[in-house]
Amino acid sequence: MEQRDKTLIIVAVVICVIISCLSPFIASGDPDGLEKSAEDSGVPEDVATEVFASPFPDYSYEPLESIGEVGVLILGALLTLVCGFAVGEIVKRRS
Amino acid sequence: MHIPDGFIPFWQCAIYYVILIVALYFASKWARNNLDEKRIPLLAVLAAGIFAIMSMNMPIPFGTSGHMVGGALVAIIFCAPEAAVLVFTVVLIIQALVFGDGGITALGANVLNMAIIGGFVGLYTFKALKGTIGIYGASGVAAWLATVIAALACAIEMAIAGTFPLSIGIASMVTYHIFIGIIEAVLTVIVIMALEKFRPDLLAWNKNKIAEGGQ
Repeated sequence: MEQRDKTLIIVAVVICVIISCLSPFIASGDPDGLEKSAEDSGVPEDVATEVFASPFPDYSYEPLESIGEVGVLILGALLTLVCGFAVGEIVKRRS
Repeated sequence: MHIPDGFIPFWQCAIYYVILIVALYFASKWARNNLDEKRIPLLAVLAAGIFAIMSMNMPIPFGTSGHMVGGALVAIIFCAPEAAVLVFTVVLIIQALVFGDGGITALGANVLNMAIIGGFVGLYTFKALKGTIGIYGASGVAAWLATVIAALACAIEMAIAGTFPLSIGIASMVTYHIFIGIIEAVLTVIVIMALEKFRPDLLAWNKNKIAEGGQ
């Protein structure tokens, strides 16, 4: 891999870590557009379910509170980076 | 606009999964012809960045919040909505399975809205406008429109699913996403500016210029 691609990855990881550190403290807790639209039309809250029990629901790790949120976000971004690479390698151009 | 499990009946989820499979077929075909080794890091980095930025909900009016999605951004950078399909399939599977954000049964619908519709609307709006208002203006408008149209599609899917009626869905979803789209537009332009400054070789339109014998 070229040096400038390594730089790209390092810069991206740094940006992801910064966002992950800030998000738990500054992100708005208000419902998002879809949740709010559901509320507006009187959809009961329990309609939204979870078919698969995720290990870190709502990007949180309860025992560690805010630090847990920062941790799972960084973990998630790194996991996504690795999976993105894996998918890219699988589907990439064949010559 | 991550649709959770329970909002769409299973049989309709199955239809969206069929759309997802067809989209993945075209995306892998695109990748086999276009995704060179050099741009795999870019694909991975965009996936990670989109994952992270989606956690940053910013307040908008009406007691609502929204975050950047990035479907238009990926489609514009690669000049291919197929790239957005690949990136969002990865991001949305991880978000659904590991973080309970968006349902795994709604994966097909979520990829349809954010990557397929967002990507197509974003890319073609960008292409239509870049000649007249330049790449930054065009990518801003494209990102905004992609967000609003994706929200509209989401409202229609919710109406078909019977979760909430079309009138309320359109009024609420579109109103909120007019504001969320502004966040999307600003961040999309910032990322494209940064790439144009530091890694212009990664932007599809520059790559074509080089391929045509420019440089």
